[in-house]
Amino acid sequence: MNKKEFLAGLLKDKLGSDFLGQEVSSDHRLFVDIEKEALLPAVKLILEQGGRYQVGISYDDRKNHQSFALIHTLAFDRDGLLVALRAFAPGNNPEFDSITPVVPGAGWSEREYHDLLGLNFKGHPNPKRLVLSDDWPEGIYPLRQDVPHDLMPPSAEEVAFRLEQAPPGTSVIPFGPFHSSLHEPAHFSVYVDGEDIKGCEYRGFMTHRGIEKLGQTELTYNDVPFVAERICGICGSVHSTNYAQAVEAAAGLKIPQRAEFIRVVILELERLHSHLLWLGVAGHLIGFDTVFMQAWRIREKIMWLAESLTGNRKTYGLIIIGGVRRNITKEKAEDIRRVLQEVEKETLTLEKAIIKDKTIHKRTRGVGYLSKEDAIKWNLVGPVARARGLDIDVRRDHPYAAYDELKFDVPVAETGDVWGTLVVRLKEIYEAIKIIRQCLDKLAILPENEPLALELEGPIPAGKQGLSVVEAPRGEAVHYVLTGEENRPERWRVRAPTYPNLQAVPDMLLNNKLADFPIIVGSIDPCISCTDRVMVVELRERRVRIVARQELEKISRKMRLGR
Amino acid sequence: MKIVAVFINLVFFLLLAPFLEGVMRKITARVQSRQGPPLYQPYLDLLKLLRKENLVSAENWAFRLAPLLAFASMLAAVAILPLHGQENILSHEADLMTLIYLLTLSGFSVLIGALSSGNPFGSVGASREMMTIIMLEPVLAMTIILGAVRNGTMSLPGALQGVASTESFSYFLMLAVYLLALQAFVSRQPFDIPEAEVEILEGPYIEYSGPNYALFRYTLNIKRTFYAWLLAGGFLSFLRPANLFLDLLLQTALIILLFGLISVVGATHPRFRIDQAIKYYALLIVLSLLAVGLGVSGL
Repeated sequence: MNKKEFLAGLLKDKLGSDFLGQEVSSDHRLFVDIEKEALLPAVKLILEQGGRYQVGISYDDRKNHQSFALIHTLAFDRDGLLVALRAFAPGNNPEFDSITPVVPGAGWSEREYHDLLGLNFKGHPNPKRLVLSDDWPEGIYPLRQDVPHDLMPPSAEEVAFRLEQAPPGTSVIPFGPFHSSLHEPAHFSVYVDGEDIKGCEYRGFMTHRGIEKLGQTELTYNDVPFVAERICGICGSVHSTNYAQAVEAAAGLKIPQRAEFIRVVILELERLHSHLLWLGVAGHLIGFDTVFMQAWRIREKIMWLAESLTGNRKTYGLIIIGGVRRNITKEKAEDIRRVLQEVEKETLTLEKAIIKDKTIHKRTRGVGYLSKEDAIKWNLVGPVARARGLDIDVRRDHPYAAYDELKFDVPVAETGDVWGTLVVRLKEIYEAIKIIRQCLDKLAILPENEPLALELEGPIPAGKQGLSVVEAPRGEAVHYVLTGEENRPERWRVRAPTYPNLQAVPDMLLNNKLADFPIIVGSIDPCISCTDRVMVVELRERRVRIVARQELEKISRKMRLGR
Repeated sequence: MKIVAVFINLVFFLLLAPFLEGVMRKITARVQSRQGPPLYQPYLDLLKLLRKENLVSAENWAFRLAPLLAFASMLAAVAILPLHGQENILSHEADLMTLIYLLTLSGFSVLIGALSSGNPFGSVGASREMMTIIMLEPVLAMTIILGAVRNGTMSLPGALQGVASTESFSYFLMLAVYLLALQAFVSRQPFDIPEAEVEILEGPYIEYSGPNYALFRYTLNIKRTFYAWLLAGGFLSFLRPANLFLDLLLQTALIILLFGLISVVGATHPRFRIDQAIKYYALLIVLSLLAVGLGVSGL
């Protein structure tokens, strides 16, 4: 009996009549419907079996079932199984039990659906606003189906996000909303006692673009990959691939082998440039700009390579449902090999310089420490988790595309600090190079004129669930698609790897020095635009007027002086 | 001649200081595989800043006064330095205590400016700057005092001559300490802690712009030049050629050489944390005290 049958049987046994049914799916996915009262016990049951919490997904289903659906997904990394527990709450009283007291990492998902769908979570320890901007009026829930995607409600008045009071004996240093160590808008209000960090509060989600809502209301299945790619400026094809895989899983499509390998090549090229980018940024964050310059110089070769392969340095536009749009020919394969060799050689030189530098050890060892237990508690993913001894990697544990045919190692470090994340990422650079070389070998054997994408036969059936995971450079990204009518998804949920990792940052910061703030936050390689993806397009009407420079200065000075 | 010497000092430092920043930027750029800006770029930067509007973000006199005070006291400090080992017209009014005092006043003005700006990053920068001053001033003071002890005089030309008396063991110890401290004196990596761009956004200078900021920059440039000069005109002054012009040329060459060293060290090190740096400074203080102790006992 495999894990899937075992878990289904267990849930059926323990939940009794609360177990409503199980959707037919592949051996690696278990979709279960349960009563909403059973959600918390079911999550507990799955956790006891060793499940790792991934994300909460919710959607407005009042059209079909007069209810709101809430799905919690959990992963069994050793068994390659993803479990999705779905429950419904009546449309007029959408209330669920909060699972945050059991799974702290679910805190954001629940707050998000309180904001976007108006769900209530009984027993949530910190039900503050998370996603919506401060002046979004109460009672308008943008992800509900009766709210149009381009709604522009008048802004609420006299609102400001209420940051917590700093604990006595500390003062507040505002890192954000704009700060040179954060490359995207985010606000950490850091409480310091001298140079010691005593706590912090995070307020983010400032760059919401309503991408999920757009995908559900305006775009068609094959438009979405190109928008999904724009979720992130660094790991774009992670999101387009992930979305395409979710739809393919829901529709039961199997893409051509050649397309699978091309997807892997692109994903690994993306990992290469992303890790080199991180390495440079990390150097910059501890004041080592030479590492920054050298790492980015090496990275530039990959950007040029990507341009010659896809036409773009970034945002490749390569992925469509059913396959890819461009081939990797023999000549291109030679280009890739040449660049990889240069990159490998130069990265080795850089690595030697970094490993030998005593000051880097001093600045990263023991900094941002989090124990393995805490890493499990916060459901950390990616290099951040692997630096804390968690041996998880979606590419190996839940293989997608062609990863099941490739051989690679998953580097793990036990130090639990920033140094660990650095080592893991450095090693992953070589693993990525190894993977791409294997793919090129395979591509050389496969017939070159094989079609790159499936011809879709007929529409994709509605009401099917697809759950896909991709190991982004920062960790596991999750996409969920519920297929719908009118050639577009009914629900499309994106969870970027930064989403769980960022929730653990306050714990990592605790009792470190203020000077270590940038590198600790940097160590998770935060991708704020990925995390903030879900927002509603919010173009508040503004009076257009030209403000003269003197006037602008006057206003800003007045504000500063509190006049 | 005694009056002219003061002006030669001022012109020497005012002209050389930005150029040395150019040297530093160029060498750093080469280490980082970059082209780097032209050597005269810092002059243009200063001119650009000086032509900008003076934005004052804090309504108090201390904020306006701080850059002027910092610049003026740094100028005064270099004006009283002996030229070619000779006294100048100010030497009777100013001894080595005056020099230490003026240098500290200049650093102190940065603190005043940072604290009066009311910016939290400025405050953190100021507290780091304060710790750095407290830990580093003694090393500088000990260097000059050792010279004074050897020559038995408080006058600057005498004390600096004493700094260069190579026949004792304490000379070499102090030279080593000074070289170890040089990177911190000029606040380059790994010791650019008070400014730390990614942590506290240039710390003390965060609220300054335009001419005020230009003054601070210029002060920092002259300060760096002074610390490099102290090696050329102090520790190594036994190399001094008889001709004044040749002397200045040699000093310039030595200073540029030192800046090359500083740049390479700076470009190959990440920044320390303040707590890590302070341990390092404490060691330097102990060693410099040891050197003075040796000097007093004639070693």
